[in-house]
Amino acid sequence: MITTLDTFRNRISSKNLLIYALTIAGLIASIMLARSVDEPSALPLWISEPFQFAEWINGAEDWLKENFRWFTRMIASGIEEVLYMVEDFLILSPWLFVLMLLVLPALAFGGLGLALFTFAGGLFWGGVGMWEPTMQTLALMGMAVILSIVFGVLLGVLSSQNDRFESILKPILDTMQTMPAFVYLLPAVFFFGIGGPPAIMATMIYALPPVIRLTSLGIRQISHETIEAGESFGASRLQMLFKIKIPLSLPSIMMGINQTIMMALGLVVLATFIGAEGLGSEVWKAIYKLRVGWSLEGGLCIVFMAIIFDRLSLAIGHGAKNAHSGSGIRFYLFPQSWDIKPWAVGIEYIIGFIWNAIGGFMNMISLFIASAIDQTIGRLHRSFAAAVSRFIRHHLFFVGSLLVLTAIIVVDNWGPGIGEFPEAWAFSFREPVDQAVKWLTVNPAFIAFTKGTRAVVYLYMLHPLDVFLTQLPWYITITVLGFISLISVGRNFAIVCVALLMFIGACDLWAEAMLTLSSVLVSVFVCLIIGLPTGILAAQSPRFDAFLRPIMDAMQTLPSFVYLIPVLMFFGGNVVSAVIATVVYALPPIIRLTTLGISQIPITYTEVSSSFGGNMLQTLIKVKIPMALPSIMLGINQSVMMALAMQVVTPLIGGGGLGREVFNALNTSNTGAGLASGIGIVLLAIILDRLSQAWTQTQRDALGV
Amino acid sequence: MSKLTWRNSIIAGVAVTAFTLGSLSANAAGRLKAPIPDWTGGAVTCKVVQMILENELGYKVKAITMPSGAGVYEGVAAGDMNYACESWPSYSSAKDKMITKFGGDGSVAYMGSVGIVGVSSYYVPRYFVDEVAPDLKSYKELNKYKKHFATIETNGKGRLIGCPTPAWECDDQKRLDLLGVDFIASELGTETAAWAEAQAAYDRKEPFLLYAWEPHWIHAKLDLVSIELPAHNADTWPATGWAEDIPFNYGDPVSMAMDGPNADAAHLLSNMKLTNAEQAKMVLAIDVDGREIDDVVGEWLDANESTWRKWMK
Repeated sequence: MITTLDTFRNRISSKNLLIYALTIAGLIASIMLARSVDEPSALPLWISEPFQFAEWINGAEDWLKENFRWFTRMIASGIEEVLYMVEDFLILSPWLFVLMLLVLPALAFGGLGLALFTFAGGLFWGGVGMWEPTMQTLALMGMAVILSIVFGVLLGVLSSQNDRFESILKPILDTMQTMPAFVYLLPAVFFFGIGGPPAIMATMIYALPPVIRLTSLGIRQISHETIEAGESFGASRLQMLFKIKIPLSLPSIMMGINQTIMMALGLVVLATFIGAEGLGSEVWKAIYKLRVGWSLEGGLCIVFMAIIFDRLSLAIGHGAKNAHSGSGIRFYLFPQSWDIKPWAVGIEYIIGFIWNAIGGFMNMISLFIASAIDQTIGRLHRSFAAAVSRFIRHHLFFVGSLLVLTAIIVVDNWGPGIGEFPEAWAFSFREPVDQAVKWLTVNPAFIAFTKGTRAVVYLYMLHPLDVFLTQLPWYITITVLGFISLISVGRNFAIVCVALLMFIGACDLWAEAMLTLSSVLVSVFVCLIIGLPTGILAAQSPRFDAFLRPIMDAMQTLPSFVYLIPVLMFFGGNVVSAVIATVVYALPPIIRLTTLGISQIPITYTEVSSSFGGNMLQTLIKVKIPMALPSIMLGINQSVMMALAMQVVTPLIGGGGLGREVFNALNTSNTGAGLASGIGIVLLAIILDRLSQAWTQTQRDALGV
Repeated sequence: MSKLTWRNSIIAGVAVTAFTLGSLSANAAGRLKAPIPDWTGGAVTCKVVQMILENELGYKVKAITMPSGAGVYEGVAAGDMNYACESWPSYSSAKDKMITKFGGDGSVAYMGSVGIVGVSSYYVPRYFVDEVAPDLKSYKELNKYKKHFATIETNGKGRLIGCPTPAWECDDQKRLDLLGVDFIASELGTETAAWAEAQAAYDRKEPFLLYAWEPHWIHAKLDLVSIELPAHNADTWPATGWAEDIPFNYGDPVSMAMDGPNADAAHLLSNMKLTNAEQAKMVLAIDVDGREIDDVVGEWLDANESTWRKWMK
């Protein structure tokens, strides 16, 4: 079989012309065929009618509700107790105390820059008047992340030890990551109640996979030499695991935790759908009243939280920076290109000086405490005092942090009091943002632009593709997709692919799935049109890149709900708005990976090109883009996945397809129907993911990378 | 090693402090949980109930912000929330599954109507009638102006911003077809999307045809004119206008039983009645004058004590 396939592949490359001609002929024939009918294709009734998947699921759900609710409720009440304690602690403590709990680790692991950023984030949370919702979200996400880490590391270690377990776990994890959360939100209410516990469970389902994957990966990647060395010293299996394997794979585990945190924060707004309070419900309340500025304030609180925890967990993964030692390294606040400006250097020196002074002062106090203990307790119990003072000397930063926290508590309780965030520091940009949105909504030039975009996207991309994909008979689509899978991935996947597509059809969701596919393809195409040039530009100009980075960070972490309403106001409620919102969400990976791919090309290649007289454009098109293609393909793959994830959110502003089916099922609390459409999305994700990965691999092989 | 100790100590410290602080907040008696409706009318109704419960009957109500929809019904059915106010029968298909009165299994109890009478219709902005279509009064004239309502997606037909989801069972497209109105009904998925689009079109002074109902806060912001539809008739539905909508309060059948542990609260929820005019006035004060809901409802309670005293028997 493999040999026939190989000869087939060879024949493709040798008879390119014929293949092109056949493909084009086939395409024209399919378009004619799709045009000749005027209703969407569907699987015949004798297949879809007996296949009552939704009914079976609802039956199973009822059974679970009757028999397992006592158990899930028990778990939920346990989670609720702890959650309320953490929440009360965060809300009732003085705000500065809580903020310091974040700033001090940021300082220890990420250095002064991250600490200042964290502090600024705290000022923002309080300043826009969202300190309390931020603390609620922090408690909720904190619980979800901690539970995810506990279970994730456990499952990851298990799956690293057992190949069969891992092969069973893998498809489950894929499903957990791609299944739209709307599908399991309502059942979560019945099993886990309202508010925190079901939100935590739903967040865990979505955010658990990366820790499991990267723990397992980290343990499996440990070199044989290390393991053999351990064995030769007679380490037992458990000793190997806990003394060698887990400690060595900590960076990988931290990477997984980082991804888990980011994914958990992606669910903050969805969690309000089941009554979880916090930033998500602020954003929702604002959206409901069409108050864009208000929802942006809430959204940016989430962005700050996401960036702080992203940088902090990455920094912890890379190990402490010794920022507290005050070793006199110069501090950089501004871009290096500002170094010529004396005022910028001056400010940096002042911050650096104050910082070093504080560091030195803290060290002195800690040393003073250490020697005081040595002098006093040392007279009573020498070895104990020696141990304590050694501990202090070795953990100067930790002691310093404790001192800061104690000082805050002392000031709060016996001094002037800190309490809630000072009202004098409040600020707000709701009104200007609302004004700006309103100004754009009525600006004739801007509306002419949005109407033009809408017409082009609808008339020349979305509508023709919708018609083509939905009206082309299903057996032709399945055959073509199966054939593509066969030549680009392999026989087994082709069989799986055909079976998955048949499942979608049998659930009577064929036309919806094709609409979703069309919307995803058009969105990713628009992403490419915008993302490729932007990415190339960013690769050529570091300044543009530096300007783009924070914007893309914000685009990826800002809850998509925030920009749904403005997009709708500018583009109207229709499928094009859905595409625009999807593009905003799915654009960053293409830009990032294009930039990465081009800037990673060894300089020799471009030099060779220019020495042959290639101008800049030729070098770009003939050398740089082809060389960067594997990276760009990876970006496309990620964009496709994100665009698919967005399909469940776009029905809120008029998007159609499987996402709307999921949303309608949520409205009627029909779990079975929601699950069927959710599985449809998962299956599309699997197929598109595998295909684009296979193409990336082909590009890599062709380049010999 | 030093890193680990450092982190562990902080975590331990947080945990210990959290536990001590947490144990201080003991559970008070007479606690009820209820969702805050996300539309202003419902929020007003719920606030009236909540203030009476807290100020007169000594309850402590935990109000939960939560988008309206099936999730709220699931929460009440599971007993996680005790009651919910002002559910609109047309827009809550979950009632058919859960309330006995509508053919459901009784997992949620019907408690009584709110007193509000809702009327649904199609609306156009007043400036369009004034400036372009002075004769536009009923559905019969819509075809004459359909080109004003056309968009690139509708292929020359007019466009209706219809009920956002099939769960509301509006059958907009069927109605338009049966009445011979050459329009296409688009479902935007959420109510919010429909209001946002209407608001944007209104700001641009563009014509639009919108499904909406009264009383509703959108009328406090946009000056809309109702389009006359044939009177409601169950036999020819959906070729007619809507029946009157009588929103109601519902609750958990156990904790909110009329002779149960919270009988006085249950009686309040089933006896309370607000008129359209009363509610609309409060909605206007909140949405147009930008006042706080607590102040507005508080003032109404002060001024109408004789009204709400009667609900408490």
